[in-house]
Amino acid sequence: MAGAAIRQGREWRLALPLTAFFLAFFVAPLCLLISISFQAESSMNGVLGLNQYAAFIGDRLNLEVLSDTLLLGVKATVLCLVFGYPLAWLITRVSARLQSLLIFLVILPIVTSVVVRTFAWIVILGRRGIVNDVIMALGLSSTPLRLLFSETGVIIVLTQVQMPLMVLPLVTVLQRIDPNLASASQALGAGAWRTFFKITLPLSMPGIIAGTILTYTACVTAFVTQSLIGGSRLLYMPMLIFQQAMDLQNWPFAAAVSVLFMISVLVIVGLLVALSRSRAAKLYG
Amino acid sequence: MKQHFDWNEFSFKAVFWALSLATVVVLAAPVVVILLLSFTGEEALHFPPASYSLRWYVALLDANELQASFIISIKVAAITVTASVALGVSAALAIVRSQSAWVRSLETLFMSPLILPALAFGFASLMMFSLLGFRPSILTLSIGHIVVCVPFVLRTTLASLAQLDPALLDCSVSLGASDLFTFRRVTLPLISRGVASGGFIAFMSSFDNVPVSLFLQDARTQVLPIYLWDIIQNQLDNRAASACGVIIIGTIVMMVLMERFAGFSRFMK
Amino acid sequence: MFDLTRRHLLAATAAAAGASLLPRGAFAADELVAATFGGTWANVQKQVLAPYFTKKTGASVVQSPMLATEQIAKLTAAKGGQPPFDVAMLDEGPNLAAIDAGLVEKYDPAKSPNFASLSPHFQTEYGPAITMQAIGIAYNPKTVKTPPTSWADLWKPEYKGRVGITSLASTLGLAFLLDINRLEGGTEASMEPAFKKLKTLLPNLAAVSANFGAHGALFQQGEVDIGVQNFNFAEELKAKGVPIEFVRVSTGTPAWKTTMHIVKGALKPELAYAYIDSQLSADVQSAMQKSPWNVIPTNSKVAYEGLVASKIAKSPADLDKMVFFDWKKVNQGRAEWTQQFNREIRV
Repeated sequence: MAGAAIRQGREWRLALPLTAFFLAFFVAPLCLLISISFQAESSMNGVLGLNQYAAFIGDRLNLEVLSDTLLLGVKATVLCLVFGYPLAWLITRVSARLQSLLIFLVILPIVTSVVVRTFAWIVILGRRGIVNDVIMALGLSSTPLRLLFSETGVIIVLTQVQMPLMVLPLVTVLQRIDPNLASASQALGAGAWRTFFKITLPLSMPGIIAGTILTYTACVTAFVTQSLIGGSRLLYMPMLIFQQAMDLQNWPFAAAVSVLFMISVLVIVGLLVALSRSRAAKLYG
Repeated sequence: MKQHFDWNEFSFKAVFWALSLATVVVLAAPVVVILLLSFTGEEALHFPPASYSLRWYVALLDANELQASFIISIKVAAITVTASVALGVSAALAIVRSQSAWVRSLETLFMSPLILPALAFGFASLMMFSLLGFRPSILTLSIGHIVVCVPFVLRTTLASLAQLDPALLDCSVSLGASDLFTFRRVTLPLISRGVASGGFIAFMSSFDNVPVSLFLQDARTQVLPIYLWDIIQNQLDNRAASACGVIIIGTIVMMVLMERFAGFSRFMK
Repeated sequence: MFDLTRRHLLAATAAAAGASLLPRGAFAADELVAATFGGTWANVQKQVLAPYFTKKTGASVVQSPMLATEQIAKLTAAKGGQPPFDVAMLDEGPNLAAIDAGLVEKYDPAKSPNFASLSPHFQTEYGPAITMQAIGIAYNPKTVKTPPTSWADLWKPEYKGRVGITSLASTLGLAFLLDINRLEGGTEASMEPAFKKLKTLLPNLAAVSANFGAHGALFQQGEVDIGVQNFNFAEELKAKGVPIEFVRVSTGTPAWKTTMHIVKGALKPELAYAYIDSQLSADVQSAMQKSPWNVIPTNSKVAYEGLVASKIAKSPADLDKMVFFDWKKVNQGRAEWTQQFNREIRV
């Protein structure tokens, strides 16, 4: 018993190495980022001010880039939800072997390099790619559709690339729902759709919100996909930060853009978390 | 009981099955397309390939820069996993066992790199290292990767520690074993699968990382995904397709092994 | 059993990793890091220049592709410390900026025997001109039936959604815009006429590439059927079997010099001199002039041959007739024009 008491007193020391590491290499850089964003001049001569923020907010183009990025995330996340939910549902309904295979297929994209996956889409969506070949063969259009270098293309690819992040939390939560509830609902006369909307969907909300948070943040910060598929004419926040930081070496401005971007993402995540907490409060009193 | 055709049930299942199958196809399509394309015999990349050959795989043999970037990615990933496991497992132990609230709240701190834009973090790290006078190197690259990869190890380790019966540890201690012995012989084997799974995800995540590497690499330490991106965008060298083919095959093999020996799909949720 | 073996493995990996963290200088054989442009430039330098250099000095070279503007950015960021590369390759415009910012050294002819063989106007003080670049229109002969003759052809309605240009980050895009400006009656002082004209091109634009290489890739994939392109770039693609033809425009071919420089604070200055000197040698330049590279030579001992002679210039006198810009003035407006360009081309 004495051994157990002493053990509990010293446990916290095990967290020290990672804490120190994070303070030095995670918290410190972020603090530096925030402080540099207050440098008024791009030469970083020490004069402080809100100039960089004013420069960002004052230019309509920048605000468009920010809203385009945040909206892009919404569109792609909605698609992930609409297509990912049925897949998660399917996974919970099939045999164990098929289930393993499906989960394998879902996890494979996560561990495959995003460059590899996006590359394939360049070929698939190009003017002479498969999609256009099929569309023209079916007579749906006489000229190839511009899918590559368009927002539509970016949304399609983002949906596929980030889909696993939506599916996995949904599978977790769907597996936990007591199947007796659905049976009871149907025994009481409710149809399949009604059961779904009134029982299954509300109970799976925590999973939906968890999936949405992960998917949305990933879509919004998906630099590789946005750039390779979007091209130079579609500018989103990650590329803006990169261009300002590396091409133009304007660190204070890039820092301000980064801070604004992080705040926007955190606000949205915060709203989603608050939503999940309020629902939990409603459901469980 | 009279069985009547339930339209409701049918339409529901039809819609859900149709959407899921479409999703499965879309999820798998890119990987299949690239694998097939990597065997093309042509100069340009058109699907389906007009002819098949191994020429682009053979071409990889003297792609020196590609090989060099591959080696750098492996080195960085190896360092990242090692450090992430060492740091992450000990932090996970502390979080699970500790009574104090602030230690448990550290979990949020350690998980936050998953939510924050990695690009902004990469940029911030570059500025910090640069202002401190450090040039980009494998070490700085690894440090950046560790920050964004350790959450994966932490998550799976916490999940397996949660499943650990504390009675086992109490037994060990009451039988006179020291803490280190208990850890080595009781805890570690029991959480090994979770740790291995997290380590695998951390390895792949580091190997594939672009947003952090973009800022923390330089000409001498270029990593594979960025090199690939460069050739895809700027040259359309078909060796990019065969390089991707190698990566895909390697990933699948590793995944199958991990599933058999560590059942890691359990820890992905 | 489980724990020990894994810990041993981890320890071994850590040791191996630690060994690889030691400074490269301790193990690497002599090596030079040089910047180059992407695409065909990286290819020709890798295949022709690098082997020649290695044979001559025994040292190897890491050639890092990046745009001239990117090189300036990286050198500026590293100013005062160790530069990320020892040899810079720049176009006119960026090279003036580099000289003004003190990023490159004066070129010492004594250390470079081939310097004397250059035609006089290529013997610039801070770094010799290694080639001239000329631009024109590239098109896909399979899908574009009438060969274009001037920039105005890009505006034809039949090319809607099929035209490709590059952004102003690359000299290719900038030279195109400057020439449009000149033809619309503007000067390097104001680019308004060019931007007005560019707006009308927007419906035709299929893609705006970040650099030459990406631009070439678009031709290769059939994403773009007609566009502005470099002479040697287009010819390399053609030699690879891509359906592409290059024509000069009737209003005069814009051209500019490309120079190589020793970076200030270079780690291996002697190797850097040997590298640039190799690039200036008659052997390397005549090899680069051959297909598929078609790089215009600057060494007076190398006569113009092949596609360079038939499509661009038969002699240095022909080069003088091309269209040149005042790059000093261009530098002053470049940043602002880049911002405006990025704004205008947005979808």
